[in-house]
Amino acid sequence: MKKIKDERLALKNLNNIRIAYIIQTIGILGILGYDFVTKGIDGMTENPLWFVFILTTIISAYLSMSISIDYEASEKSPKKSFINSLVVLLLISIVVGILVVLTDGFSTVNGIMIGAILFICGLFPIIYIYYLRRRDK
Amino acid sequence: MENKIKIARVQVDLTQQQLAEKVGITRQTISLIEKGKYNPSLKLCLEICYAVNKTLDELFWKEKGSDEK
Repeated sequence: MKKIKDERLALKNLNNIRIAYIIQTIGILGILGYDFVTKGIDGMTENPLWFVFILTTIISAYLSMSISIDYEASEKSPKKSFINSLVVLLLISIVVGILVVLTDGFSTVNGIMIGAILFICGLFPIIYIYYLRRRDK
Repeated sequence: MENKIKIARVQVDLTQQQLAEKVGITRQTISLIEKGKYNPSLKLCLEICYAVNKTLDELFWKEKGSDEK
């Protein structure tokens, strides 16, 4: 196949890919929904399609961050918002960690682990947003 | 978007196919641009201008508010 040089056709091609992506996602959701109904939530998450679905959702969320950042009109310094979100994330992680420790059947190690995992998972989007905001300045 | 590409193209004696090849796009796209059904990028507009030896103004300029389609 020849490489598309015509900008109109390149755009159309992107639109076609979008349609295919939408149909694919509907299909994946249908299969996962069927699994959920027949095998329950555990059966659904065991399906490798679940992993694919979560992965694409995360990727699309990250990609759309760079779009939503352009809509921000505030003149706040990126560093300030970065520190703010970091403090909030830290507080949430600590509170959740403490709650886990206080729950019956969970040890202190469990609490620290869950708090740390929550913190690390939240850290990535915060760093990415900070990077995007810095780049735009 | 209205434009004068068709007139300019005829003036330099090019067919849609020849102009398309010169600019590096397909004939269908030239046809749609001439009909005003496709909005070309600025880069493509410039390529067309170079191919027919006209300026952007001559091909695409339209007074604000005049016969809006």
